[in-house]
This record gives sequence, C-alpha cells and structure tokens, in this order.
Amino acid sequence: MTDVDAFAKLELELRRGVVVLATLSQLRTQRYGYELRQALAQQGMPIEEGTLYPLLRRLETQGLLSSEWKIADGPPRRYYVLNADGRTLLSRLSASWQGMNEAMGRLLREESP
Amino acid sequence: MNANEVVESYITDVALQLPRRQRNDVAFELSALLHEELQARAEAHGRPVDATMAIEFLTAFGRPVDVAARYRPQLTIIDPSDGHAFWRATVIGLILIWSLSLLQHLAAPMASGWDLLGVLSHWWGGTVIPSLWWPGLLVASFGTSAWVRRRWPHAPAWQPRARDRISGGRAALVATVLGIVCGLGLLIDPRGLLDLLFAGRAAPAAYEVLTYTDRFRQGPGPWLYALLAMNIPLYLTVIVMRRWPPVLRRAETALGLLTGAAMTWVLLDGPIFISPVSDRVAKILMALIIVMMLVNQGVALYRRVRPSPNQGS
Repeated sequence: MTDVDAFAKLELELRRGVVVLATLSQLRTQRYGYELRQALAQQGMPIEEGTLYPLLRRLETQGLLSSEWKIADGPPRRYYVLNADGRTLLSRLSASWQGMNEAMGRLLREESP
Repeated sequence: MNANEVVESYITDVALQLPRRQRNDVAFELSALLHEELQARAEAHGRPVDATMAIEFLTAFGRPVDVAARYRPQLTIIDPSDGHAFWRATVIGLILIWSLSLLQHLAAPMASGWDLLGVLSHWWGGTVIPSLWWPGLLVASFGTSAWVRRRWPHAPAWQPRARDRISGGRAALVATVLGIVCGLGLLIDPRGLLDLLFAGRAAPAAYEVLTYTDRFRQGPGPWLYALLAMNIPLYLTVIVMRRWPPVLRRAETALGLLTGAAMTWVLLDGPIFISPVSDRVAKILMALIIVMMLVNQGVALYRRVRPSPNQGS
C-alpha cells in the first residue's frame, strides 16, 4: 500500500466517523436532502450524495428523525428534522466529540515539533 | 435515451433492491433529489442536462445495488472476526474431502488414459460438486454463532484455560482408557468377539474372516499391541494427577507418532487378515486412522503458541 492509498483510506475512515454527527447537527431545523448537502458543503463538510440521502432514511428508521413531504412551494420534497430522541443523541454525541477533539488536540500538540 | 430516462432507469434499479413498503417513497424522493443535483451540475457547467452528464453523475453516485444497500441496516452473516477461521475451515475441509475421495477413485484399476479421464470425471461430479455442502454448513454454523453473539452479547464471555487442563474432564479420559482396553482386547483376539456374541456357535466362515495371518501375528502385530497398551498407564497417570504435565504431553505425542509408524509398518508389511475382503477393509480403516493422527499432530503443531520475537525484526 502506498502512502497516498494509506492516507486516502484512513482519511475516509475519519470522515465516516463524523458523517452522522455532522448530519444530525444540521437537522435542528427542517431541511430536505439537497439543501442539507449544500449546507454541509458550505461549512466544509462535503458528503457524497450516495452516502447522505440513504443515511437520512436510516436515521429516520432508527427513530432519530421525523420527516414529511412538502409540495406547496415548487417540486415535492421530503423534509427531515431531529425528533426528541435525535436531539438527545445529538447532545450526547456532541459532548463526546468535544472530549475526543480536546484529547486529540493535546495529543497532536505533544507530537508536533 | 435522454437524461430523464437514464435517471428513471437508475432509480428503478435502486428501488427494486429495497423492501416493498419503502420502495415507491424512496424512488419518488430519489428522483426529485437526482434531478435537482443534475440541474445544479448543468448550471455549474453552463450547459443543459443530457444523457452523458446523467450517466457520469450516476456512475459517481454509486452502483444501484450499493446505493440500495445503504438505505438498509448492514446485514452481516459471518462476523468479520470469524472471517479467517471460516476461510481456513472451508479450505482445509474441502482439501480433505477432495483428496480422500480422489485417492479412493484412483485406487480403482485403470487400463488407459480414458479410464483416468472417466475416474476424474466421476470424482468431479460425485465428490467435488456435492462437497459444496461443507461451505454451506459452515456458513450456517458461523452465521448462527454470529447471530447468537449479537442477540446475547454477554453470553459467550471469555474464560481463562489452564495449559495443563484435561479436555472433557477426567470422565472423558476414563472413557478413553475403557475404549482402549476394549479395543485392544478386540484387536488381540477378534474371534473372541464372535464367541462372546454367539457363544461359540458362529459359522466357520465368520471365524475365517477374522483370522490374522501368521505374518501379522509374528511381525508388526505385537509391536502395535504394545504401543497401544502403553497409552493405558499414560492416561491413568493423568487421571490420578488431574492435569496434563508437559512431560506427559510430550510422551503422548511420541507414543502417537510411534503408533502411527507401527500402523504404517502394518500397512506395508503384507496381509493382516487371511480373508482379502477383511484385509482390504482393515487397511482402509488403518490408513484413515493414520491420516487422522497426522492431521491431529499437524493441528496441534499449528496451534502451538510460544511467545518470542521474530528473528531479524
């Protein structure tokens, strides 16, 4: 395995680890799939369409999101938003992420020359 | 085919992989999202949406079967932690089944190359194809084991095992000793079984079938009996000590190898029974026992762990 392959593979694993948290964080307000992807990309967290759209359905099946079709303005769109369980989970995951982020920050500062 | 037809074809292929209750709703949503994505891409490129652009976009989106799989919880039949064990059991099992059957087929008399082709063809159709039951059985076993671990995650907790423990306990060893005593008695005097079963009234032909040749009785026979008999004090010592000390383990290995060598001598030395049919059956059974002993020794050698650093690293 070359360095480039190793980097790409490991970076992909890192990104996979935060995809759910990033998605939940942007669903405090109602959004539909394309809008959510744009919001994530604008904030520096682009997620592939083929990953994000199925993920929304899986999170809904897990009971973390609520959704509804809206057809009033323009084409029909399915909007997703955190429900009570989703908000609780987001809060816990955020605290966990902050802890890990701080720990990693300390670890990486120790390693840097 | 225009861009709309490309997208609809893609969505149909995704939706067909989904559960029926979810299929139409996901297809409707995906259709809207893909069209919106394509429109945005067309605006970014400054040209209208066409079939080529749609195909490029959908290729990057993922194969329909992969995309459909992402809509559902991941289904794992064999746990990744079992992957190597599954692969090893599959390969070793198939090699054993195929090679034993091939040896049996090749033992048949052959007059020409056509006979060999016929034997191989029979082996392929009669053994290789039907042997797929083995990986099937392993998938079912490993799958059940993985399901049980997921269903009751704390059930199969790891337990420490002493190196000198007796597998199966002392009762298993007592049963082994009794088996050896009975087996040895039968081996030394197989005709005695007929006396026992028929009170000495069995047909003369039955006695003849179980009569050893003089060559066996005066050659390798007594050596084989003696080596088998030496297992009895060995196992009795282990039963009394309630453990397998390393020196007794080494003695068991040495005794096993010597017994295997004596059996090989029996196979190569000449007829065991005066009846050709009995002789052939006995030799096939003895060859199987030798193979099993060698496999057992090989597995024990393979499973041996002696922590030490790799040379040169």
